[in-house]
Amino acid sequence: GGGGGVDPANPGRAKMFDTAVSSFLERLDSPGSYQHFVSCLRCFHELQPAVARSIYEQFMSQLQTYLKGKNEIEEVKSEGNLEALFSKLDAIVEEAKDREEPAWRPSGVPEEDARSALVPFLLKHRSYLHRILKEKEEENRKVAEAVLAGREKIAELQQLIRLRREAWQ
Amino acid sequence: MSVNPMAYEAQFFGFTPQTCMLRVYIAFQDYLFEILPVVETVILKKLDGFPGCKITPFQIHRCTEKFLLLMKEQFDKLFSKMEEVVLQLVLNIPKNVLLPEDKVHEQYPYSKEQFQVLQDEIQQLQQQYKAEVSAGQALRAELEEQKAVQAELEKILQWFDGLENICREHGISNFKESFAFLTQKAKKLQGVLKAVEKKSKKMK
Repeated sequence: GGGGGVDPANPGRAKMFDTAVSSFLERLDSPGSYQHFVSCLRCFHELQPAVARSIYEQFMSQLQTYLKGKNEIEEVKSEGNLEALFSKLDAIVEEAKDREEPAWRPSGVPEEDARSALVPFLLKHRSYLHRILKEKEEENRKVAEAVLAGREKIAELQQLIRLRREAWQ
Repeated sequence: MSVNPMAYEAQFFGFTPQTCMLRVYIAFQDYLFEILPVVETVILKKLDGFPGCKITPFQIHRCTEKFLLLMKEQFDKLFSKMEEVVLQLVLNIPKNVLLPEDKVHEQYPYSKEQFQVLQDEIQQLQQQYKAEVSAGQALRAELEEQKAVQAELEKILQWFDGLENICREHGISNFKESFAFLTQKAKKLQGVLKAVEKKSKKMK
């Protein structure tokens, strides 16, 4: 368990998980359990203490070995891709370590949460619209200037024609 | 036990931590229950080697059952402790941690009203743009008309210029004046003709 660059003071989730499971298995075999065994099977223990002891030890060792090696833990780990997720989460937590305020959490109301997800797109759209509007306005300004110039030119031509016509009267 | 649904963790891991631990618990417990009867069998077998002993199989059975119960109790206690550790330290996301996929919610915490304002702005910009597009089309249409009108007017001017060129080519320097003179003359002649006609009528 645990990836590279692991700080011994901060073992990382993968290591902690494995340690927790190992501790649990070890503690199953406590002096207390043996006492239970002896008190429950007092009659047999009195008869054959050595045999009783050996039966207990075999039972415990088999239990621990099986549980440790039992693929349930490994299955859970591999199905859930836990090793990778553990180190990913460790990294995310490490990044957030200087941050004190509680972070955002889903509100439970999908519409509310969806809003924030939409905002970046809307902002992009808004700035796009600003841009094309400005461009269009500039374009129209130029065309408007051309139209005004055109009107002047027409008035000019009409004037010239009037003058010629008068000259022929 | 407080019911913390650990939904955020479930979002990250793809399963709820409690479900994961439950699955492990059940698998472990199953094995424990499988193995204990074996203990009983082994003990009974050993007893067979002691023909004189007074212990009955039934007694052994009751003893191992008691032992099973005690083992289960201890097993549950220890597993519970392990589960606590795992749920608090391993399969958890601390309160101050935000998953990268949710960054957007922190960057843009828009309330309903702010969101509405943004949508309204966009609506307005779209309408303004449409208006500009129409205005642009109208302007361009006028520009096209102007071109046609200008072309006509220039044709007329050219025609006038053409007339003057003809006069110049044929040496009629002041065709206009002559034309005007002739027009006047024609009018005078017409006047004289009329006077002559009158006189001749009188003479008849």
